[in-house]
Amino acid sequence: MSVALQAEAIDVAAEYARLEGGIPGAAVATFTGYVRASSDGHPVTGLELEHYPEMALKVLQELGREAESRFQLGRWRIVHRFGLLAVAETIVWVGAVADHRGQAISACEYMMDTLKTDAPFWKREQGPAGEQWVASRASDSERRARWQAREAQ
Amino acid sequence: MSVKIKLFSSLREVLGESEIEFDLGTLDSAPGEADVATIKAALSKCGADWREALNQPNLVHALNHKVVYTQAIVSEGDELAFFPPMTGG
Repeated sequence: MSVALQAEAIDVAAEYARLEGGIPGAAVATFTGYVRASSDGHPVTGLELEHYPEMALKVLQELGREAESRFQLGRWRIVHRFGLLAVAETIVWVGAVADHRGQAISACEYMMDTLKTDAPFWKREQGPAGEQWVASRASDSERRARWQAREAQ
Repeated sequence: MSVKIKLFSSLREVLGESEIEFDLGTLDSAPGEADVATIKAALSKCGADWREALNQPNLVHALNHKVVYTQAIVSEGDELAFFPPMTGG
């Protein structure tokens, strides 16, 4: 399936329809991430997403193929935005089609947990006090590590 | 003998550069023996801001779009990127 990196808002309904393709597998799962209005107690008025285009495309394509193999997906799709985003706008959308709900749901969680730490995007939050780069979270690395631990088993 | 160096996020901002060319010929290393650590050390001599930026903990190095350790060998025509931990999604 495929990856899209785009500046424009994600058309979630159109993405879902394309993923389902009129002939769904037994299970379709999706995740949509939005720009939050506050971060660690501070109000957020907007977000700028910097990315490394060539590497982001490569990392997300490999991630999708890995998810396909790991969870026996029939289809998958990853869409990630870059540029200036307003509060409540979409940031990321992932979708997976499989024969069983566990595979589809786990695939979405795996793709999200992995892209958070492995795909070259950097968030810069804007707020009343100015702008600041978002620091990486230990909790994101821990979620990523859970999948690596399962790979090692 | 040139390598493309790319900088992203806070490194790009602090150093005021997003992309520079680095000549491997300026290194003491023999051809085929220059690694990421050697290039980091050479760039760190560009000034205190470079030294601080390139030696920060958790700095990520990507060689030809793949995250690597500092022991990775860098060759002519390669693209080497430096950036802080990623925060997408």
